Amino acid sequence: MKKLTALLLIFTLLLFSVVGCSSDNSKTEETTAAAVTTAETQPESTEAEMVTLKIYAQYSDDDTKIPYDYAVVELAKDYPNVKLELDIQAQDDGVKLQTYAATGNLPDIFQVGLSQIETFKESGNIMILDDAAKSTGFLDRAVPSASNIIYNEDGHIYAFPYAGNELVLWYYNKALFEQYNVKVPETYEELLTAINTFNENDIIPMSIFAKEKWITTAMYDVLATRFDSDGIAKLDAGKGKASDEAYAKAAETLNELVKAGMFADGATNTNYDQAASLFYEGKAAMFLNGQWEIQAATDKLGENADWMWYPVMPGYENNKFALSGGGAPGGYAVNPKSEHKELAAEVAAYISEKYCEAKYMYRGNPILAVKVNESIKPETPFPAMMEKLDNELSNITSTTKFAWGLGNPLFKVAIEDQSQFLMTEDYTPAEFIEELDKVIERMNQ
Amino acid sequence: MKKFFGNKLAILVFTLPTLIIFSLMVFYPITQVFYKSLFKWNGLGSGSFIAFDNFLRLFDDKLFFLSNKNGFIFAAIITVFQLLMATVLAIAVSTLKMKGRNFFRIAYFIPVVLSVTVVCQLWLSIYNSDYGLLNRFFETIGLDYRQNWLADRKHAIYAIAIVNAWQWMGYQFALILAGIKSIPTSFYEAAQIDGATPVQAHMKITMPLLKETYKFCLLISVTGGIKAFTEMFIMTSGGPGTSSYTLTYMMYSSAFRSNEFGYGLAAAAILVLECLMAILVINFVFKSEPTVGGE
Amino acid sequence: MRPKLKKIKLSSWFFKGFLWFYAFISLYPLVWMVLYSFKNNDEIFVSNPYGLPKVFRFENYINAWSQYNVPKYFMNSLIVATATVVITITLAMMFSYATSRMRWKGRNFVRTYVALGMFIPVQAVLIPVTRMVQTLGLSGSHWALIIPYTAFNLSFSTLVFYGFFVGLPIELEEAACIDGANIFQTFFKVIVPTVTPAIATLSIFTFLNAWNEFILANVLVLDQNLKTLPLGILFFQGQFTTDWGAMGATMVIASIPTVFVYTLFSNQVEKAITVGGAVKG
Repeated sequence: MKKLTALLLIFTLLLFSVVGCSSDNSKTEETTAAAVTTAETQPESTEAEMVTLKIYAQYSDDDTKIPYDYAVVELAKDYPNVKLELDIQAQDDGVKLQTYAATGNLPDIFQVGLSQIETFKESGNIMILDDAAKSTGFLDRAVPSASNIIYNEDGHIYAFPYAGNELVLWYYNKALFEQYNVKVPETYEELLTAINTFNENDIIPMSIFAKEKWITTAMYDVLATRFDSDGIAKLDAGKGKASDEAYAKAAETLNELVKAGMFADGATNTNYDQAASLFYEGKAAMFLNGQWEIQAATDKLGENADWMWYPVMPGYENNKFALSGGGAPGGYAVNPKSEHKELAAEVAAYISEKYCEAKYMYRGNPILAVKVNESIKPETPFPAMMEKLDNELSNITSTTKFAWGLGNPLFKVAIEDQSQFLMTEDYTPAEFIEELDKVIERMNQ
Repeated sequence: MKKFFGNKLAILVFTLPTLIIFSLMVFYPITQVFYKSLFKWNGLGSGSFIAFDNFLRLFDDKLFFLSNKNGFIFAAIITVFQLLMATVLAIAVSTLKMKGRNFFRIAYFIPVVLSVTVVCQLWLSIYNSDYGLLNRFFETIGLDYRQNWLADRKHAIYAIAIVNAWQWMGYQFALILAGIKSIPTSFYEAAQIDGATPVQAHMKITMPLLKETYKFCLLISVTGGIKAFTEMFIMTSGGPGTSSYTLTYMMYSSAFRSNEFGYGLAAAAILVLECLMAILVINFVFKSEPTVGGE
Repeated sequence: MRPKLKKIKLSSWFFKGFLWFYAFISLYPLVWMVLYSFKNNDEIFVSNPYGLPKVFRFENYINAWSQYNVPKYFMNSLIVATATVVITITLAMMFSYATSRMRWKGRNFVRTYVALGMFIPVQAVLIPVTRMVQTLGLSGSHWALIIPYTAFNLSFSTLVFYGFFVGLPIELEEAACIDGANIFQTFFKVIVPTVTPAIATLSIFTFLNAWNEFILANVLVLDQNLKTLPLGILFFQGQFTTDWGAMGATMVIASIPTVFVYTLFSNQVEKAITVGGAVKG
């Protein structure tokens, strides 16, 4: 009961803080709402110089709403003649955007991932933004380490990234490790020991929201980087096969870990909220997610939350600092058939930068595509885990790709499906390798 | 009478609007499905013509057979469950002299009114391995039958089919009920005078008279099963892995996740053909006798 | 109305129990949905999936209400669904009458042709349907949804009406014909009233289909002012996290009116049918 009241308290506090945060944003909503209504009611003649740009963007949680609202407020200051009309991105594997493109309904500005960039550029549905990137000064402010997410492989810019490189972090609960006297695993051997100890004490070793296939891809990738620092990125590029030693071993390792009881029963049907709650309530010792979880983990577990380097495989000690995740080109793109494409490109660059500012200020995220103006300070100091990550960035020897950063959609679907399959006990690594290799063979044809 | 039923103008007025709307909005798109299934096409641009390569590839794809198998399992479960339950409940509601008949009639239809999203969320919760009602139920009655209902490659499809069967039973229930209501009461009275028990009366009167009703109930279940999608999309995303893929999900996954539109449409084309086969078979089975009400 | 059934009493306790049980599991989701809409993610998924919410979180509703223009979405849904019902039912009835009772070549072919619509997964035809809507100049009005919805509902409705018409005795038309009515008068005054139960049932089905439809609405509605209620969930469903409570509130806002309308409407229909049936019998 105590736990529950405490939890409720935390949630009410959180709610208040959210309400508090959003109170300054509510103005934004009002202004955008007002803008839309004026656009509707006023005859066009008086608003002749106003330009309305349609924008297709994510707008569903704090991580997407806060930056968007912030960007809209800022835009009104610097581009008083531009109004944005928001079309909210659906969680539909890109069905909506694809249909828009196929029927000539693409909005002026839209958010894209790598595989869509590739499809769209073949059919002339995405504008090359090289010039706009220069003229707006976006490139001058871009961080050198972000060039992998700005430039496409062909050397052009198709989208302005609005975040930065992201990483898969292996979180753990220090208190649980101390309580059961478990060493934070640095090697595979130690990981197995930890799994056993936690299982004996009815603690789930690692909670994972494996209902989502991108995180199972990340889990496999984490293990793949233990054997080959390029992880799944190498397979995506068609430079390796699943039957190669490193990837076969990774599959076997994941299978072993599943059998050793590293994950909860029914993990492949666990969603984010369920998995996160297990970790934050002390029922699970470890948790896998992107670095964007740092803020939430700090809020819930305080000093007990930390992240570790992935455990090392015997004989592959060199890969200790290879991380999964990383970035891929993507962000705000522009429709080349837009009536105001030059302006849209300018605005796309502008809001991408404003997103970065908002993420820096309100979302505790310093790893961004562009350098934030020095006058801008984060609302609250960065969490310790973020400081640690920022300090350790230079140690990272390599990164790979998130599922959405994979360039070959065929491979993406295969690794998503197969990695989730591998998380169930009766799926064999041999099946995994066979299915994946069939797809890789097809890719290379 | 012949002139009356052969009124050309009336036929035109009656059928043309439907035919126009249907041809433009449904039939033309279907032809596009078949046409584009012959292309290597990413959904944009014009693609390249590869004749039947997509189909040949389908027949070499394990996933295609798995999707088909799942579709048939799905169709079988929902057909049996829905027809059986709908018949029993519709007869009960229309004949039983009990208080609150209206209440039952409305209650049985409620799941249909709710959105699929809500229903799937509810069942996700019921099926949850950890705290789900189902596992708790087995625990309470002392059976060691805990399962990872949706996380098991062999059982997931059954678990999902139950959800669909349960939610849309109300559809068939309402149809059969409407059918029973349009049967004149005198038919039953005659049967009663002949000394038939209620069950016999229904077997002899309701069933044969509702032949057409049953025909399309069967049709909805079978085709609905073969083209199932939404439940797996929400509940498992075709998973774990690929174990709850259906043809529609495969089509969706190929077209929108892997950008292989042509391949996806080939799967959709097969799906349409399978449904067409189903309708032909069902029509054939039901054709054996002329309809009773006709004369 | 129905014959009295005496012998069923034998197993009636068991049977009645079953009827109650099934009614319970049919109504439970309604209750569950309402409770759900007052919870937060933690309660929904972890701490309290089935019970009463610990605190009634009305903010879920405030949240839903403030994110999008609920009355406007509601009106749009209402317009689209109502128009779809009226057009679908009228067209389907006329079509089925012509194919079931009138004599002409090719009627069976035409009937099967329209039934084809039941087989097509809508995901496969999103792009051609959207193109067609544009070609016909329907974008930017409610027709962008009404016409496709009608088209996709026609298959099922024509099939059901066919089943009802085919069973009607031919004396109906004969009598009307002798009275000197032409086919249009006969159809509207004699035939249509006899299939009231089917009209009622199909109206409800079609309305619900149109009311809950998401996939087509998601790609066909380009104008913010034409969005329908199911699109409201987009405001809460993120790539990584979803605000399930607010989504529940959105779904309650969308579903509860239909439950009410259904309950009222179906009682009215029931009365009408019973009266009509009595007259007929």
